[in-house]
Amino acid sequence: MNFMGSNKELLLVHAGMQRQFLSHDVNVMLTPQYYTLKREELPVKYLYQAKKIAPSLFDGLLEEVGEYDYMVYKEKGKWVFIAYNPGQIRSLLLSKGIKPEQVSKIFFAQQAVDAFESPVLLKDEKALVAIDDTVAVVPQSALNEEIKPIAFTGSFTPKSGVTLQGSYGSLLSMGQAIALACVFLLFAGMFFMEGSRYVKGSLATQEEMQGLLEAYPSLQSKMQRESIAEKYMTIDTAQRKKREIIKSLSGLIFKGATLSTLLVNEKGFKATFNCSDKKVLKRLEQLAKKENLTKVKATGNNVVIEGTL
Amino acid sequence: MSLKKYQNELIVLTALFLMVVAFFYKSAQVTLGAKQATQMQQSVNEFKEIVALKRVWADKKISKKIDKLQQLIPASKVKWSKKGKKLTATYQGLSANELNKLTTKIMNLAVQIQLLEIQKSGASYHVEFKCKW
Repeated sequence: MNFMGSNKELLLVHAGMQRQFLSHDVNVMLTPQYYTLKREELPVKYLYQAKKIAPSLFDGLLEEVGEYDYMVYKEKGKWVFIAYNPGQIRSLLLSKGIKPEQVSKIFFAQQAVDAFESPVLLKDEKALVAIDDTVAVVPQSALNEEIKPIAFTGSFTPKSGVTLQGSYGSLLSMGQAIALACVFLLFAGMFFMEGSRYVKGSLATQEEMQGLLEAYPSLQSKMQRESIAEKYMTIDTAQRKKREIIKSLSGLIFKGATLSTLLVNEKGFKATFNCSDKKVLKRLEQLAKKENLTKVKATGNNVVIEGTL
Repeated sequence: MSLKKYQNELIVLTALFLMVVAFFYKSAQVTLGAKQATQMQQSVNEFKEIVALKRVWADKKISKKIDKLQQLIPASKVKWSKKGKKLTATYQGLSANELNKLTTKIMNLAVQIQLLEIQKSGASYHVEFKCKW
């Protein structure tokens, strides 16, 4: 089973092919005019090693026009190297009315050498045949008349093909796109990690709260905490105010000014000071204002200060 | 329009989109984390405040501490009535010095002052003090 796009129509692209009018994506197979083939028995084990040496194998064999890409695969114990010019293929496809973006996969006739059991006739009096495990274009006149030609069908589709990367007018090459995507994904990963770390950030405070709850089990309920807080807050505020008033009033005692009476209860306060003379009285009034005690009343030598709590 | 034509750009845009999403996720988490931390810190502070308030205003040793208000002044000048969690104390003939000592002590005790009445009579002072705890 072929998962590489074999369900798409396979077109055999050759020099005599008529102009196509396509409205769907296709796979194409190129005849030997559009690639250069080399089959070598090399002491390399892995495909990436073979791919690395591919350009050097074709030194001096290729036209020095445009850049070449290479397809390498192993066939019957030998490495098969196919050199192709993506620019040239693109021009060829366009000349046949096939837009490069309509092409899913490009295959080379050599890849389907086993399928060429009989010649495949081309339009321009030529035929594709397999000679010594190599697919070649020969004139139809050279064919043995007893051998019946076969039709080119989707069954010729090889397992793997190539794509014309960056040749659709794309701004970025595949390499550049992958490099940029990697950088962005790296940043994305960093942001995700940083984001998830912030959630764990308040763990120390949570532990502190847990410690407090364990130390004071009676305060575990929020309602209870609120109730206790309200109770003691009220007491604290009122009692602090009472003490502040007493402190302020005691600050008004100085030479010549003595405290005659003081009353502090739940509702308010009232203090009477006795002053030795008017000067002392005036100073006491000023000091009272400074302490924000506004309800000050002077009667004779006495000053009465009162207020609410 | 075939998307394949722009597949490289699409790869980059997808990665860029993921990066932007991740950035906003991080920003949201930072804001949320800071908010949660502030809320949690606020809760801890409130808890600590409650504990501190309870320690001050529900001091189990306060009953003993209040007895010092009786011991501070010679017994002949004090009329002492302590019932349950309430105290009524009357002081008579206090000197200015004794009054100072007494009021300073009252001020520093974590009791709920219900009444503090001071009256000067000649050179001495009469004090009535009521509190609860």
